[in-house]
Amino acid sequence: MVRTKKFLLLLIINYTLCAILCGCTSTYPGDKIRESIVKICKQEYKSDVLVETTGRTMVIYLPLSNLMDFSFALTKEASEKINDVIFSAARVALSTDARINFYCVIAHDIKMPELQIIIIKSVEDVKRLFANDISRGEYMKRMLIDLRWSPQAKKEQVVKEVFSRMNLDPKWQDQVMTDFFKSEPTSLGDIGYWDNKFYIKDITVPEFLAEQIANRVKLEFREGKILKETFLLKSARGVYILRKGKHLFRFDIFAERSTYGTAGTIEDSDKIFETVLSIAAHVIHGYHFKDYDGVEVFDQKEGRSIEVNPEELEAFRTKKLRLNEIGV
Amino acid sequence: MIPRKWKMYIKMYWVKLAIVAAILSVIVLAVVGLNSLESYYRNITLATMPVNLLMVALNAVIFVFMYMTFMKGGFSKLSNKLRVHGDFVDVKWSDVIGMENVKEEAMEVVQLIKDRARVKKIGGKILRGILMFGPPGCGKTYLAKAIATEAGMPFVSMSGSEFVEIFVGVGAARVRGLFKKARELAYGYGGCIIFIDELDAIARKRVFSAFGGTEETNSTQNQLLAEMDGLQEIKDKHGNPSPEQNVIVIGATNAPEDTIDRALRRPGRFDRIVYIEKPGLEDREKLFTYYLSKVEADKSLDVSRLARKAVYKSPADIENIVKEAALVATKNGRDKVILEDVSEAMERIDIGLKRKLKMTPHEREATACHEAGHAVVLYILHPTNDVFKISIIPRKDTLGVTYSQPKEELYSHTKDKLLADIKVDLAGYVSEKMRFGVTSTGVSGDFKDAMRIAHFMVWSLGMSDAGFLGDYTVIPESQISEDMKEKLNEETDKIFKQCIKEVEELLLKEKPILERLISELLSKEELEYDEVEAIFNEFGKTHIKSAW
Repeated sequence: MVRTKKFLLLLIINYTLCAILCGCTSTYPGDKIRESIVKICKQEYKSDVLVETTGRTMVIYLPLSNLMDFSFALTKEASEKINDVIFSAARVALSTDARINFYCVIAHDIKMPELQIIIIKSVEDVKRLFANDISRGEYMKRMLIDLRWSPQAKKEQVVKEVFSRMNLDPKWQDQVMTDFFKSEPTSLGDIGYWDNKFYIKDITVPEFLAEQIANRVKLEFREGKILKETFLLKSARGVYILRKGKHLFRFDIFAERSTYGTAGTIEDSDKIFETVLSIAAHVIHGYHFKDYDGVEVFDQKEGRSIEVNPEELEAFRTKKLRLNEIGV
Repeated sequence: MIPRKWKMYIKMYWVKLAIVAAILSVIVLAVVGLNSLESYYRNITLATMPVNLLMVALNAVIFVFMYMTFMKGGFSKLSNKLRVHGDFVDVKWSDVIGMENVKEEAMEVVQLIKDRARVKKIGGKILRGILMFGPPGCGKTYLAKAIATEAGMPFVSMSGSEFVEIFVGVGAARVRGLFKKARELAYGYGGCIIFIDELDAIARKRVFSAFGGTEETNSTQNQLLAEMDGLQEIKDKHGNPSPEQNVIVIGATNAPEDTIDRALRRPGRFDRIVYIEKPGLEDREKLFTYYLSKVEADKSLDVSRLARKAVYKSPADIENIVKEAALVATKNGRDKVILEDVSEAMERIDIGLKRKLKMTPHEREATACHEAGHAVVLYILHPTNDVFKISIIPRKDTLGVTYSQPKEELYSHTKDKLLADIKVDLAGYVSEKMRFGVTSTGVSGDFKDAMRIAHFMVWSLGMSDAGFLGDYTVIPESQISEDMKEKLNEETDKIFKQCIKEVEELLLKEKPILERLISELLSKEELEYDEVEAIFNEFGKTHIKSAW
């Protein structure tokens, strides 16, 4: 008994010593986040990056030389570089005393800067993955990946085209352009890097969730066996809006019906509602998100919509309530 | 130069030191390793460390359990009897109470141990061993510890039975291990005391038989003899006596002295023999004062009365009596121990707890008659003992008891005392016969005792009237003639019958007292000392006892 006590005491002392000697300081101080990421990417992965932070969001710009191959797929080299930068960002975000909720990597080919890959990740998701709280598959679904034309490039092209077609005096073009770009990005879709300038915003949890749910809906319509055969999804857009004092997740779905589909129009709409609500309920529950008053799904094709409050959504998720009981 | 004590520690504890060094290295490496991690991973590692340690410990426990259960035949194999610890004990000389005579002798021993250099200088013989004889519970171990404390030496203790194993050579190996440890301690501290309790387990007279039945005990004892001899021979490189030889062996036993092998008792082994006796009146008073001070006792408690009552009690008995008295006081709802509690405790220990045995009216009467007979003869005839209690409540394996105690310790007994003992034993029988005309099985124990005493008086003590002097029991049975045996047995029988006759006469004469005692016992079941005294006084009997 005495020996057991001594052994336990030794273990406790050992553990305490380790804890004390290791200290509790963060590896990457909050005021040196940018330098830290730049240094890690440079020293460990030979990548030159630029880093900017706003609020609790960290954005990393990664210029690449060969982003895509002839088939519009990412090259192996680019893929590895992007992964390295994502990993570096995760390391710093996890081991800093600054409160970082999201990090975003913007990568583009220097030969074609208009085409950008935007990857957004939640730091909480990374922690939960490390703690085995979520699966790797779920983690991948929680990541936002978008290959798109730079919104800033689009705007610049529009201005130039207007000046060109209307034969306007080019000396005003820069002035117009500056005014045009003065406004800060308002949605996740506006985030980008253009003309040596970051266009970023502080990402919030609800808008991240709205975007993620929309992405998952797209994926479901693309890969779900019945949905794939019944619908042709044209667009799925998710936003978090304030309407009449209520915070709502709103999802606009435009899906064409396949010609050989047998179901009727209303039943098709219900299927869309059922799919979107089911995904939304799963995601919102997965993040333990409570700060919302309802979820609205709008079937643009049929012009029908459904709105459910959080209690109904939870009941729907736990299969205590069916769609027809919510009321369309 | 490394001080001697440090060298000793390194020699003794090099395994432990190596383990501590390894653990420290692991801690340092762990800290360095953790510091090389980024803070998040470090925090995760530290957070999961307790759980990991717990899992490792659990796995280890399961593994050890499985291993010991299936491979090694259970956990009993884990015990290591040769785990010798050298400790500095802290038993002060003043803590040893109740053995003043022995303390003086022991103090002399301590002085001899302390003044080794002086003893050597004048050519005196250095003390090698002390052998303590005495009944159990008299504080032999305590005294040995006090000697160690006074001499300022570490104390290594083992019981004699720990050397005993079924395997030949194990005991000897343990003796070697014990002395090795003691020498290491002596090297560092200038001396060491080995205490072997229950020495008789390894020190009995060796038997040299052709079958080798006791070979293991012999080899253990031989090793002890060799080690004690070897102590004298260790010298350092300059030829000076090494401090490693300053090992004193103290042995303790409650076996008779003549059962210990002579080789161990010769000078150079156990040079000094200390006899520890049960405490006398004064010592008992001190012991009662000491142990009563450890419990909440009534200040007016008469310690000298208690000491007088506790004749032949060892210090351990007295400690037990006080502990029991505290329990009795608690049972009786008192917050202090009073005289009645100690008396009850003493009775509980001596005559046992009361049993709830339902006797028939006749059995009760027979028991009362039997015990009253004992009491009358004891009170009137016995030269040394007092009647402290008469009871017809069953205790242990008896239906009743007459509890008597001598006033003071007696180390020898007269013929009168022995005859009185026989008469007291036979009084129960006579009393039953006088009242009922028949007797019961209750006399069996009394007869056995009476016959044993009578036989002893005639065969060993020459106390018969026929003039047979000498101890006939030492003569081999085959060498005593049948005629002589018959004569001796006749003398035994004569004493026995004479005693019965005298008891009959006495009980007839004192029948009123006898009847009174019987009726009192039947109504009260128990009579205390004062009540007994009052009844006898009522009939004009006074109580004058002497040790002779």
